[in-house]
Amino acid sequence: MIFLKLLQSLVETLHSEGTPGQVAAGIALGSVLGLTPLLNLHNALAFALIVVLNVSFGGAMLGWALFVPVGFLLDPAFDWIGHKLLLESPALTPLWTTFYNTPVIALTNFNNTVVLGSLACWLVLGIPLFLVSRWGVARYRATVAERVKRWRLYQLITASKLYDVYRLFRPER
Amino acid sequence: MHVAVFRWKAAVPLLAFGALGAAAWLLFAERIARRAIETVGTAVIGAKVEIRALALSLGHGSVAVRGLTVASPFRPLVNLLQADELVADLDLLPLLEKKVVIDRLAAKGLKFATPRATDGRTRRQAGGLMDQVEHWGAQLRIPALQLAHGTIGVGRLDPAQLYTPRAASALRARADSELLAWGAALRQLDVAATADSAKRMIERLRGARLVDLTLLGDARRTLDQVKTTRARLDALHQSVAAGIATLQAGVAELDDARRRDYTFARGLLKVPSLEAPDIGAALFGGAAIERFQRALYWAQLTRRYMPPGLLPRAAPGPKRVRRAGTTVRFPRERAYPAFLLRSGEFSFQLARAGGEPGVYAARLSGLTSDPALYGHPTTAEASAPGVRAAALIDHVRTTPRDTAGASLAGVGLPALTLPALPIRLEPGPGTVTLGFAYYGDSLRASWGVKSDQVRWVRDTTTGSELAELAWRVVSGVSRLEVAASLAGTLERPRLAVSSNLDRALSERIRAVAGEEIAAAERRLRVQVDSLVEKEAAAARAQVAAVAGDIPQQLGVQQAQLEQAQRALEQRLKELTRLPGVRLP
Repeated sequence: MIFLKLLQSLVETLHSEGTPGQVAAGIALGSVLGLTPLLNLHNALAFALIVVLNVSFGGAMLGWALFVPVGFLLDPAFDWIGHKLLLESPALTPLWTTFYNTPVIALTNFNNTVVLGSLACWLVLGIPLFLVSRWGVARYRATVAERVKRWRLYQLITASKLYDVYRLFRPER
Repeated sequence: MHVAVFRWKAAVPLLAFGALGAAAWLLFAERIARRAIETVGTAVIGAKVEIRALALSLGHGSVAVRGLTVASPFRPLVNLLQADELVADLDLLPLLEKKVVIDRLAAKGLKFATPRATDGRTRRQAGGLMDQVEHWGAQLRIPALQLAHGTIGVGRLDPAQLYTPRAASALRARADSELLAWGAALRQLDVAATADSAKRMIERLRGARLVDLTLLGDARRTLDQVKTTRARLDALHQSVAAGIATLQAGVAELDDARRRDYTFARGLLKVPSLEAPDIGAALFGGAAIERFQRALYWAQLTRRYMPPGLLPRAAPGPKRVRRAGTTVRFPRERAYPAFLLRSGEFSFQLARAGGEPGVYAARLSGLTSDPALYGHPTTAEASAPGVRAAALIDHVRTTPRDTAGASLAGVGLPALTLPALPIRLEPGPGTVTLGFAYYGDSLRASWGVKSDQVRWVRDTTTGSELAELAWRVVSGVSRLEVAASLAGTLERPRLAVSSNLDRALSERIRAVAGEEIAAAERRLRVQVDSLVEKEAAAARAQVAAVAGDIPQQLGVQQAQLEQAQRALEQRLKELTRLPGVRLP
């Protein structure tokens, strides 16, 4: 059921739900959920932004789903980057010390190497990811989308009543 | 086309989702807190920490833990402690910084060393704290006489650990090297060519006259060459003599090495010297070391989790599906420590000899993960009739200072099994004392047991003559006094153990065991000889060959040159015999 809903959301997202910019923003915001360890305060904030901002919810779910395996694969690199930032950058130590002793920020687990490394990577890659996604969605819609719409599988997926659930989170044009 | 930035219609579902999350947190907070305490406690102690129930009241800033069980990290089926109830008054503000500050902790119904159904020790990490402490204790172990079986134990004699084969091998290599060097030096001198040249010159001088000045000049040069070669040969001879003396000294050193091997092999005999203090160490050393190891384990644990200074501190991150990573703490002056227990009051039970368990009280203050921030050492004390205990963990300054002392009188002392003897000692009611001081790297500790109502229990009725003897000695003793002390540094600790049984046992065992030990030593010497003799004999033969051949060659060549020089000088003297004639 959930898988079908996700599939519907994905199909709808790629074909008509929102502008390429909204889909790309959704993917970029959703990717933070996949790249960084999920149960952290910054992900709650990211989720709230996905819901409240007029970005594609389906795009965010797509970004999340795509970047979960990437996050797992890149964990050693995140650990290394986080280690460099937290323990081998004396210039940043006062900043981390302030964060560590500041209410609420301390709850974000920023002082974990994997969390900080993955978050730093996302901050660096977020905008390029947005730009690439926007271009990719636009190209997809201009070239492949019409052919896909004629597939029987596509019609089966979009015909499901569950599709209506996602209407609530459709981007407003 | 204008695209709205916010999706206002999703605000309500988001708020609903947030409310749902908050409700779920409230519903599961106690379970989460219980799991967190169990996980952190288990990781810190090195044994399972279990909580039956936890009640969280954030409104009142209090946490009540019921049915706390902490397994012993040392013994499989024993709990370190159990507590009926612990109530903590929390400071709420530090929770927003993910820090736990407990103003006051009250614990009731603490019981120590209670039995448990399953092994509560966690899987030991290779090279972890427990391994380090055990390795430390192993260097203090006293070899025990195998009294139980009446035989003397012998450890494995590893040829690689013996000195003689190594020394013999080095000596052979040195002899080879010297032989090659001397041979090369001899070849370089080319004595035969010089001697031949002298012989040819003598032949040429046979028909010579006094006026053949050129020939006479050649003859003088040849004579000089012979003299020079002889001088070099003499120098080489001296060098060879010195070298051979060194090699022969090496041969003598092989005997020393073998004596050291005998000593090493004797060390493999599981025999303490039969001096009285060593008997005490063999009998009670294990028990003393066990106590000191435990004290050291707790001291090292406090140093690990309560380090001095304010530098960032890295620790393994939380376990999760993703990589755990490393979590770093960044303590700062005038900020809250990550953990602080300002004061704690405990009521605990201890078994009293021949009666109901006694209820005692203890106080703890300043237990913190960041002593430099708190600025005061951690102190603990318990005082009651017959019980005195105190500890001070001072990690405020750079050099940590940990001290603890306890004295329990009139309590039921746990049984001790004497190593290598089928005898168990039940001290009964008595007094036990423990002192421990660990300053920087320096250690001082003491452990003592006194009892006037000792019972000796024999585990088996049959035994060797030695075990029988030991039983006869100890079974008549009703008073026991054991004193163990430890001094030195962590790397080089020194243990001394004595008891009132030492002298009696020492004299009796010495009489019976002496012959057996001597026989075991003889067997070991034969074993050492068989392992080292082949290498040593080869080295001796090689040195003998070098010492015989080279001087002989040198002697022959020296004789050749001497003879050639003498003949040449004789011939020149004959030619220049006319008075008033001088050679140019």
